[in-house]
Amino acid sequence: MAKILVIDDEADLLEMMRLVLERRGEHETVLSAEGRDGLAKALADPPDLAIIDVMMPGITGYEICRQLRDNPATASLPIIILTARAQPVDRDAALSAGADAYMTKPVMMAELLEQVDALLAKRRAGEPSALAGMFTLLSLRGGVGVTTLAVNLAVTLRQANGGAACLIDLCPSSGHVALQLGLRPQPNWSDLHDSGARALDADTITAHLLQHSSGLRVLASPFFPVVGQGIPQEMIQTTLRILQQQFPIIVVDMPSVLNEAAIAAVKAASAIGLVVAAEPPSIQTTIGTLRVLRQWSDKLHIILNQITPGPQPPAEAIERALKHPLTGNIPFDSSQARALAQRSPLALNNPDSPLAQATQRLAQTLSR
Amino acid sequence: MRERLSTAWLVADFFTYQHRLSGRMNVRYNKLAGQLNNTTTSFLQLEDAYISNVERPAEIIASYTSTVLYKQNITAVVVANQEDGLMREQTYGSYLGTYLRSVFITVPSFEIKGYLRLSGKLDLRTVLTTGTDTFVPILDGQMVSSLRQDVVFSGGAILVNKNHIGVFCVEEKEE
Repeated sequence: MAKILVIDDEADLLEMMRLVLERRGEHETVLSAEGRDGLAKALADPPDLAIIDVMMPGITGYEICRQLRDNPATASLPIIILTARAQPVDRDAALSAGADAYMTKPVMMAELLEQVDALLAKRRAGEPSALAGMFTLLSLRGGVGVTTLAVNLAVTLRQANGGAACLIDLCPSSGHVALQLGLRPQPNWSDLHDSGARALDADTITAHLLQHSSGLRVLASPFFPVVGQGIPQEMIQTTLRILQQQFPIIVVDMPSVLNEAAIAAVKAASAIGLVVAAEPPSIQTTIGTLRVLRQWSDKLHIILNQITPGPQPPAEAIERALKHPLTGNIPFDSSQARALAQRSPLALNNPDSPLAQATQRLAQTLSR
Repeated sequence: MRERLSTAWLVADFFTYQHRLSGRMNVRYNKLAGQLNNTTTSFLQLEDAYISNVERPAEIIASYTSTVLYKQNITAVVVANQEDGLMREQTYGSYLGTYLRSVFITVPSFEIKGYLRLSGKLDLRTVLTTGTDTFVPILDGQMVSSLRQDVVFSGGAILVNKNHIGVFCVEEKEE
């Protein structure tokens, strides 16, 4: 028996849903006839699954869906959008907002129960296949721990999925992914660029990937800073496309500039993590970055990375300043300094550490 | 387990030149087609209308609990189920006939394809001018935005306002 939240402003339908879910599905139901009330109920006591109408006064089902996805407590909540707006554009809008399934009214009870059972079973199974996608992490303010997060996220996703995963370092000025993993950055994407290959193919790109002992493959950045334009946009687009065919999981450690390669990676990403530190310059930069990135993507997540010990401003204050909710909150972890010296990420050598635990939660959230 | 969760309310998509209104109306006593073709009133009352621009039809830009539409300005109405687009006396087929003709219709902002149900001889003039019904039902209709061909609306029936039709093409042979 699961707890199912139903949010729909149509009282008759709400009552029918209660009867169907409780008597035939043998589930516990929580009902809400008003969108904001339903959202509050979901956030206060997250259910096992939510069924949400779209057309409701005050707040639409799409907006509720987005807010649930943006909140770590409900980010992985299975959501069915149930709406009378039954056009293909509406289905796309529902899935873009973060819904797991889309059904139209009037709905067949058997189909609804089947969908509910399928989503609950998927949730119970731990959804290993859901941990897939291309995740880019960036901050245009350097020194906020983007590379550390990217390395730990890639290792975490690789372990959780059990399949192939690739970590790409796009930094043109001596990236540190290889350093943190204890790898020699040779070959790297600069060699790929200089290889003279007119048409990049899978074999050429694979030959330029490093192999880490965890099973992670790495496309490293050159040790020496790149002078000039760096990696061309066309090359990164082709590289990403080929790597996406080979790796269900890709994590990109982005440079702290929006060059051609970075823009191409942003556009291709299934989720973009903007890393912010609890300090004014980083917050200011993130406000501007959010504004710029919104023209290319709506899959933006803010990750607060606490890079200094001691008291921190409350997360709510940072959310208010950014006018955007936080997807992840990575605590300061003193063991990271040792992990860096040992060239072994915490996600591997100390999975119970606060940073590794927070990265696991982040991986789940970004994968939705 | 074949029951549908439905109520006396019908939700339909109403289109004007620039907007899509998804709204619900009570059809317990008079079906949608009956209310649209009712010549005693120029207006149509909707409850809980959600408005989108036709260029971004999934994005809800406004919503109102009570809305009145001026029927003359409605270009088309899309309903999911065919029978929801027919008059009560048309539902069982005898009035509209059983011959299906493929049609192509243009109204402002949209191109519509579907089937017209006729009783026999094809006579476009009859279809367009005879009778007092302003809205003609196109069955299994698909409505494509003239400016954005990727924006498609489909339904069991599309009720097209004859007064907004620019082009009306009919396939000669029966389906």
